Amino acid sequence: MIIKVNNLVKRYDDLIALDHFNLEVKEGEIFGLLGPNGSGKTTAINCILSLLKYDKGTIEVYGRPMAPDAYDIKRNIGIIMQNVAVFDELTVYENIDYFCGMYIKDKKKRRELVEEAIEFVELDSFRKFLPKKLSGGLLRRLNIACGIAHKPKLIILDEPTVAVDPQSRRKILEGIRKLNDDGATIVYTSHYMEEVEEICTRIAIMDKGKVIALGTKDELKGMINSGEKITVEILEHNPDILEGVRSLPNIVSAEFNDNMLVAKSRRGKNNLSALLEYLRSSQINVGRIYSEPPTLNDVFLEITGKELRDHA
Amino acid sequence: MQVYKALFKIIHKNLPQITIYIFSFLVVAVIMSNVGSNPANADFSETRVNIAFFSYDDSALSDGLESSLSNITNMIDIPDDREKLQDALFFREVEYIVRVPKGFAEDLMKGKDVKIEKIAVPGSVSEVYLDNVINKYINTAKMYISNMKGLSDKQLTDFVMKDLEQKAEVKLIRKVEEVSKSQKVGYHFNYMAYSLFAVLILGVSTVMLVFNKKDLRNRNLCSPITPKSMNTQLILGNLSYAVLAWLIMIMPSLFMFGSFMFTAKGMFFLINSLVFSLSALCISFLISILVKGPGAISAAANVISLGSSFISGVLVPQELLGSTVLRIGSFTPTYWYVKSNNIIAGMTELTLRNITPVLYNMLIVFGFAVASIAVALVVTKQKRTA
Repeated sequence: MIIKVNNLVKRYDDLIALDHFNLEVKEGEIFGLLGPNGSGKTTAINCILSLLKYDKGTIEVYGRPMAPDAYDIKRNIGIIMQNVAVFDELTVYENIDYFCGMYIKDKKKRRELVEEAIEFVELDSFRKFLPKKLSGGLLRRLNIACGIAHKPKLIILDEPTVAVDPQSRRKILEGIRKLNDDGATIVYTSHYMEEVEEICTRIAIMDKGKVIALGTKDELKGMINSGEKITVEILEHNPDILEGVRSLPNIVSAEFNDNMLVAKSRRGKNNLSALLEYLRSSQINVGRIYSEPPTLNDVFLEITGKELRDHA
Repeated sequence: MQVYKALFKIIHKNLPQITIYIFSFLVVAVIMSNVGSNPANADFSETRVNIAFFSYDDSALSDGLESSLSNITNMIDIPDDREKLQDALFFREVEYIVRVPKGFAEDLMKGKDVKIEKIAVPGSVSEVYLDNVINKYINTAKMYISNMKGLSDKQLTDFVMKDLEQKAEVKLIRKVEEVSKSQKVGYHFNYMAYSLFAVLILGVSTVMLVFNKKDLRNRNLCSPITPKSMNTQLILGNLSYAVLAWLIMIMPSLFMFGSFMFTAKGMFFLINSLVFSLSALCISFLISILVKGPGAISAAANVISLGSSFISGVLVPQELLGSTVLRIGSFTPTYWYVKSNNIIAGMTELTLRNITPVLYNMLIVFGFAVASIAVALVVTKQKRTA
């Protein structure tokens, strides 16, 4: 086990930020920590990194207790913070060299690693740029390069794609996968469920300082009763259709969104064909048809009764 | 030494702003050092006053007075005509007119009060000076008359003339020149307090503000570098910067005042400024903990360096400042630094007695450094636990 957190409690006066929080991260996985803003993700990460003191519980990294002076453990960790943490006064190269130099003393080796990191985040043409000259996406990539240049075995990324354009986000996600392929264990926190769903091998969903669900994305989706969401374009709008659809077995809800009929079903087989059969038998002309499997948002919604997106 | 190197790169990026202060110091220091000299103290030459002398007493004493005055004045030949004499006085052809009345010697020998008529430019230095000379002549004669009975007019004149021949020689000694040069150096080093303070606040605060940014600090804390190593590098970096700034600031003094800077007095100026630099460094460190952003740094650099300079005698000499202002100024190290510079500048001899107040002042300046660091540590601890 790379990280083992047991019954962690962190209080800010009366507010409980982490409420008996438990976590286990295995070697080689991309572990996602998903939760709305304020759910305790960053607090958990800061406690794991010994940046915050906690009230109760234990944290072990690489089988040893994590502490502010656990420098041997820190040597193997790469951290990419939620906010970009680079020197505005240093160039792209100098920034990566500075942070790499905190871990690697050998100048020659460091130079090689810095070059690799620059290549990895594709900032080669920007190496002499000051951070303020970089776009948001490039800045995020610099932030990542500063955290991974020393080739850590464990990389913790705390919301690395906040306020990033889709192209840069794609590159960042691809990069994380590559780091994992190269052998690094990744802990990835985000409130973007699509990202977590896309890259993480195991996911812990957090709310109010607790892990409320844990597993692979399929395991998580299997925990809930919700089935697919079916969206059908109705060419002739008729409000009476809703009654008929709602009466179908396994359909939980149905409503119109303009001329689109949106029906949510329970987990079960043939929900889509049953609906289409009903529409055909009622001689209702239909256009486009979509069927979406349940998302992590549905998992969060069913467990907590609130939308994950509402907090994003 | 990643932190140490990064520190200097950050300072390097802020160099244009720092250079403005250094450049302005160099310009003003050169100007002030030259304007601030007092050449009158550096030279002495005897001047002679133009006088007119008329004697209506045919006596040795009268001749003696004439002879005595001719040694220290220029005797101008003018007819004893009221109108002409007035013209001569008006146009400063003569500044003093002496008329010895008939019976002057006889009256003096009998012990009577004698009166010598004089006309002079009212209130002039020459009037006071020649009054003194004439009074001295008469008083010396009176002294002999009262103590040595039976002296003839000729004998008395000989005695008086012999006594008055004794002259105090004015010799220009090197120390006067030295004091003048010391004063120049004093102006230079006094003004240095302003620029040095500003440069240190700007540099140290800028660097510390960067390293104290929450996200950067956290990233550094996540690295395997120990806080001890981190702090040591920061302290070393700031200390190096302060010493570098001090060296740049004293460089002009070495060029302008040359060998003087390698005399004991010059060394005291240098040591005093080094102690002040360390104190300013510690205060800058405290300020860096208190300020919130780059804008505040600039404001703090100006307000603190300029403010302390105004109330401590850098821009206006301490002698011209009111006691209340000086009392307030004494709560800044600049005041004690300037005070020491003034003492060193005014010293003609380097003795333990002369130098003791300077050493005490240096101790006080050093005390400011210790106090600033102590407050900085308390504030840092409070911030950490808040």
